[in-house]
Amino acid sequence: MAELQLKSVEKTYGSGFKAVHGIDLTVEEGEFMVLVGPSGCAKSTTLRMIAGLETITGGEIRIGERVVNDLVPGKRGIAMVFQNYALYPHMKVRNNLSFGLRLKGRPRPEIDGATQDVSKVLEIEELLERLPKQLSGGQAQRVAVGRALIKHPEVFLFDEPLSNLDAKLRASMRVRITDLHKRLKAEGRPATVVYVTHDQVEAMTMGDRICVMREGHIMQVADPVTLYERPANAFVAGFIGMPEMNLVDAILTTPDGVPHLTLGDQTVKVPEGLGERLGITEGPVKFGIRPQHLDVCPPDTENALSGTVTTVEFLGHEINLHVGVNGESFVAVVASDRLSAIPTRGETVALKPHGNRIHLFDRHSEENISLAGL
Amino acid sequence: MTASFDLNPHRLLEKKEPATAMEIKLRRRSRISSAIRYGVLLVFGLIMLYPLIWLIGASFKTNAEIFASPSFWPSEPTLSGYIKGWQTSTPYTFGRFFWNTFLIITPKVIGTAISCTLVAYGFARFEFPGKRILFATVIATLLLPNVVTRIPQYLLFRDIGWLDSFLPLWVPSAVAGDAFFVFMLIQFLRAIPRDMEEAARVDGANTLQTLVYIVVPMLAPAIISVCLFQFMWTMNDFLGPLIYISSVDKYPVSLALKLSIDTTEAFDWNQILAMSVLALAPSLTVFFLAQKYFIEGISTGGVKG
Amino acid sequence: MGGDSKYLGYFYVAPYVAGLLLFTAFPFAASFYLSFTDYDLLSTPGWTGLDNYIKLFTRDRTFDRSLTVTLLYVFMTVPVKLAFALLIAVILNYRLKAINFFRTAYYVPSILGGSIAIAVLWRYIFAQTGLVNMIIGVFGFEPINWFGDPQNALITITLLRCWQFGSAMVIFLAALQSVDKSLYEAASIDGANPWHLFRYITLPLITPVIFFNLIMQTVQAFQEFNGPYIITEGGPLKSTYLLPLYIYEKAFKSFDMGYASTIAWALFAIIMVLTLIAFWSSKKWVYYAGDKRS
Repeated sequence: MAELQLKSVEKTYGSGFKAVHGIDLTVEEGEFMVLVGPSGCAKSTTLRMIAGLETITGGEIRIGERVVNDLVPGKRGIAMVFQNYALYPHMKVRNNLSFGLRLKGRPRPEIDGATQDVSKVLEIEELLERLPKQLSGGQAQRVAVGRALIKHPEVFLFDEPLSNLDAKLRASMRVRITDLHKRLKAEGRPATVVYVTHDQVEAMTMGDRICVMREGHIMQVADPVTLYERPANAFVAGFIGMPEMNLVDAILTTPDGVPHLTLGDQTVKVPEGLGERLGITEGPVKFGIRPQHLDVCPPDTENALSGTVTTVEFLGHEINLHVGVNGESFVAVVASDRLSAIPTRGETVALKPHGNRIHLFDRHSEENISLAGL
Repeated sequence: MTASFDLNPHRLLEKKEPATAMEIKLRRRSRISSAIRYGVLLVFGLIMLYPLIWLIGASFKTNAEIFASPSFWPSEPTLSGYIKGWQTSTPYTFGRFFWNTFLIITPKVIGTAISCTLVAYGFARFEFPGKRILFATVIATLLLPNVVTRIPQYLLFRDIGWLDSFLPLWVPSAVAGDAFFVFMLIQFLRAIPRDMEEAARVDGANTLQTLVYIVVPMLAPAIISVCLFQFMWTMNDFLGPLIYISSVDKYPVSLALKLSIDTTEAFDWNQILAMSVLALAPSLTVFFLAQKYFIEGISTGGVKG
Repeated sequence: MGGDSKYLGYFYVAPYVAGLLLFTAFPFAASFYLSFTDYDLLSTPGWTGLDNYIKLFTRDRTFDRSLTVTLLYVFMTVPVKLAFALLIAVILNYRLKAINFFRTAYYVPSILGGSIAIAVLWRYIFAQTGLVNMIIGVFGFEPINWFGDPQNALITITLLRCWQFGSAMVIFLAALQSVDKSLYEAASIDGANPWHLFRYITLPLITPVIFFNLIMQTVQAFQEFNGPYIITEGGPLKSTYLLPLYIYEKAFKSFDMGYASTIAWALFAIIMVLTLIAFWSSKKWVYYAGDKRS
């Protein structure tokens, strides 16, 4: 196992298009790092540069002590699980697993032993004599993971391995992968993992740390809790968390020295702690509040935003309430049993934000200005 | 995503050079290997094409010059090969022979297109008793050496009285006799989803209307490929006309060329070569205009077969 | 579809069925019958039992010669043609920019090659003072007697067939390009070098196409007629007298239809045996993709 380091890594294509803009990232030994972001954010490109399937046009990638920029994929000490599994269709599962070892000319008993071990861990022993076309999606994916595991690589790379599976299978495979990671750690063989996905649920549930990317830049690298509670910018704030954080333009004013936020004709007081942390006292900002941090109150409640209900989504234990406030649409998530009556379309309600959960972002840089000092 | 890993050489861990110098070396190495590849392809390609290039050049040469130098460029270009060759040593000009070829090809191609489409539609979209066996015969015919059927076919046409006419060349193709085309169209059809045809049926169309208004437009590229291939094969067809056509006035170009070798004096090669160029011209023109249909057609027939 | 007659399909395949019976099945059976007869087109066929076959396999020197020459021709042209086709296809497969140009350049000979015009050209360029001898003369070699020497004549028509490898190449190229790129990536991560990639990934995955090309090329090679007929007229000394020529001359020059049918059936049997051997062996070396049923 080894530490993975990316220093100022860049990727510029022949056409001049710069896909990756000088990113720095360190993945600790044994850490499960997730690269997440919308399509086009270059997370797969970055992964492929680590693997050696794309050339690096700038910067340096280190695995352990070695700089691997110029090494072929086979010599980097990496293993990769592909989105479409990429199992060799003409070889039985057994031979798919052992292909790498056979190429290296390892002795037969060693190959057989390793194949046995890996298939036991992944519960694919009965599948060893089958061809890939005879496997289900989940089975094929386990074989692909096995092929990676058998190599005892220094770094495991996963390229959206679960996107081709149906929702139920995805959930169970997620658990299987994280269990495997924990088990290897417990056995004293911690695995350094870089896992690419576009699904933020996968990212949040699987990663020790998450690296949020956008258009070839790193937006934030942090553990899930930090990402959720203290997003560094509006992009991360909007990307992490379901439903998305409400982000609207607002004006910060300080009448009588008390900071207030104004949206249109409505004003909400900002809690004192937050007020002190802000560097500015006045000016345009972006106001962010998660749907789960809005209380639904009767209209005309103080320090709440009044609006009209546009859509009610009843999910059983929760209700997603879409409320129009001064032309902006807010979503509030409320537990069903907290409301005496389910609001109806057209009804007027007020949304009261939890004061200590308010985020303010700079309108231009999108930076989270409410974190200073935390 | 393009995989560019094939550019990285094997490097030992100890040899560390600055990244930029390494990259220059890698780029140079890949450029050299590209250059070698291009070089080989180019040289070999030229060798392959030289006979054709030479043929075209030679058709404009005088006879003496043809036997004088291997270069393809005529030193004194002349059209005498074309003019005299066109006259031929028969009562007919080559125009007559081209016309005959046209008369053979046109009904044959149309007949092929229509019958093969109908039959492929039948196989690809319908279930009926005995379909499997019948499809097996398509495959079998594909591989069948037709040398065994040629003699009795001749006897059959003789008994019907179709000898010395174009009918023996038209009719077998008009009943989807060319299994290759039926097979190719079936493969193409299998790749087209049935949704639109199902929608048409729901709209009230019967199977024939569905075929004509929905399937044929979607199958058009494949049908064009079929027509092009049949055009080429018929232009090159020699044995068929040889067996069935006896009057010179009905000779297609392929037989006429053979005739010209037999009858022309040895020192009139430029006439023969000139007529050969003319004989190849339609095929070449059609090919260049419709390249992608050829490549598509042969790839689908071969790869997905 | 509900409501359709289950015999509706017959309507569409009817032309094929008619043609199959009239122009394939019936002639097929008829030629088998004829091979046991003596038929000169004037009187009715006279049954001769196994006489034709006995004569063919024991007393017919021409048949021996023709068969030898044909087998030589097939076993020379098919491997060479396929090897070149695969080689060029592999070279072309490397994301070269001018791939379309080269593909066309190599393909053109195969569309023109079967024509009489090209056969005529070939007859010229291998003439004593023809193009080929002129070119090798430039390099200082003596002119070769292509058509006069039995050894060399077969080479000229062999070269003609090999020259047309373009169609097989196009098929190989399509097959190479249909191999899933991520398999190469996975194998590369497994430590494979370019040779390993070709040997363990590319080659196994294109075996169906190799097999298809092998069968098609062999069956076609056995039936070559235009080339030998036009260029060498089967000579000299019957060194290019391929079986199709022999059948043709027996049937349409000597009008010995019965015996010609016998030769045709012998040729057919040889082709079938080789095809069956190929099919039987294909289980060993051809990998089939496709449906999930094993």
